[in-house]
Amino acid sequence: MIDLTVLYDLVPLLIPCDCLEARFMQQALIGLVLLAPMAAAMGVQVVNFRMAFFADAISHSAFTGVAIGMLTSLNPRLTMPAFGLLIGLGIIAVQRRSALSSDTVIGVFFSALIAFGLAVVSRDASLARDMQRFLYGDILTIGDGEIRWLLLLFVAIMIFQAWGFNRMLYIGISPILAKAHRLRVAAYQYTYAALLSLVVIFSVWAVGVLLVTALLIVPAATARNLTRTAGGMFWWALLVSVTSAVAGLLVSAQPWARTATGATVILFSFCWFVVSLIANIFSKDHFS
Amino acid sequence: MNQKDSPYVSKTTVHFEEVTVAARGVPILERVNASVPRGSWTNIVGPNGAGKTTLILALLGMFPYSGKIRFGNGGGRPRIGYVPQRFAFDRGMPLTVMEFMLMGRQRLPFWFGCRGGRGRARELLAAVQADKLEPRLLGALSGGEIQRVLLALALQEEPDLLVLDEPTAGVDFQGEQIFCELLDGLRRDRGFTQLMVSHDLATVTHHATHVICLNRRVVAEGPPRKVLTGETLTATFGLHMGLVNARAMPDGDTYCSASCCREVRRD
Repeated sequence: MIDLTVLYDLVPLLIPCDCLEARFMQQALIGLVLLAPMAAAMGVQVVNFRMAFFADAISHSAFTGVAIGMLTSLNPRLTMPAFGLLIGLGIIAVQRRSALSSDTVIGVFFSALIAFGLAVVSRDASLARDMQRFLYGDILTIGDGEIRWLLLLFVAIMIFQAWGFNRMLYIGISPILAKAHRLRVAAYQYTYAALLSLVVIFSVWAVGVLLVTALLIVPAATARNLTRTAGGMFWWALLVSVTSAVAGLLVSAQPWARTATGATVILFSFCWFVVSLIANIFSKDHFS
Repeated sequence: MNQKDSPYVSKTTVHFEEVTVAARGVPILERVNASVPRGSWTNIVGPNGAGKTTLILALLGMFPYSGKIRFGNGGGRPRIGYVPQRFAFDRGMPLTVMEFMLMGRQRLPFWFGCRGGRGRARELLAAVQADKLEPRLLGALSGGEIQRVLLALALQEEPDLLVLDEPTAGVDFQGEQIFCELLDGLRRDRGFTQLMVSHDLATVTHHATHVICLNRRVVAEGPPRKVLTGETLTATFGLHMGLVNARAMPDGDTYCSASCCREVRRD
């Protein structure tokens, strides 16, 4: 088992700030610093391939995943990612086989998930009280177990991105062209959907259902305004995401702010986006 | 006789045998029998809804079908380069032409720049007269420029068979002429077989060496001079096509009205 104490102890040394003396803040920072680059990297493809609605559907499956855990007496921390994974792969499978448009397929899953979640919640008052946690996120309660899972997911996603970033571009631009030129389109699509589902579910923890899509798309959208290459977009998205995560956590912990961490992180991302818009306007000739 | 022994199949790159495609019980292709001779410029012509694109997608393995699609050269699937019909993509995506060319070749992610295969990509872009486009954004290219870059991408596969689905749709007349001249030269230089869908009968009569007239089933197949008769075209398109026939091939001759054909004839 990996000892995370060394990692936590590094936090106040790297960022000397009073609010990072507490262990739960160190854990939250490590959690966010792991989650932000994952969301940024996967978000590049979410934005380029217009998959925001897909991410939204997965995030809404989180609550239903918890509800299923409670119904089946299984640990909700297991049923939530498992159910998200199942939904992500299910959407891709139906999309690949159905004549319906992607939006319609996702819309059907999306509404069914919400309906099922609401049906279960309406039967159980204690679960209804937990709803706020899912809506706004609660990164400050992240523990060692979750951080270990995040570390594993981080390694898996970075390996996938390093191996498949260029190929995912190909598939995103034209799956037919990619398949005709002998790329294993289905394998890439299913792997990407599985990893994205897991990132989304963990992101629900950090920023809540309402802001998951923003965590994925705002850094990537900002990056699009700041670069003219696919490689550049990755680095800019990473920079925007990580700096927003750290700044959001630190500011939300200040006594004068006392805001929800997830929402503050997204607000910092949005500030980056505004800056990128201005930069884009002034360098219009450069990017044409 | 097995495929390897068949002298007919060995002279072809692709042989369609009783290929039938249906969607929800509605037939799209019915018992298509046709061949694509090795080294040829084969054109599929037919009206909208004739199943031309479906036949190509079946060949590429993207549409389920019954019947057989057999390949010459020992039966192994040839290396295929594909230029799609309408290349709709997000034009706002930050992606340079060089990244586009290398996305199927370079394993190292573009985070570290374009490294592997730049020389080859440049060479291919130059071959399709697109070398100056290398640093530009893909989304900023015109329709004709994108088609040339797509052609370079397909050539990067070093294809035995180049499949093009209406590659000049949406490109102006001059752009289409340049594209077809380019294709003809590349085919002769590199020796690939070309299978192309095109509505433009003038292009077909001018460049193609083999024509498949398709309207859900094969109406006629063979050299353009023999196949593109008023009768066949009427049977294929359901309209009198005498105008095209008379303009392109007067007196049953094999030349068309393009200047290059007239020059060839004088020689």
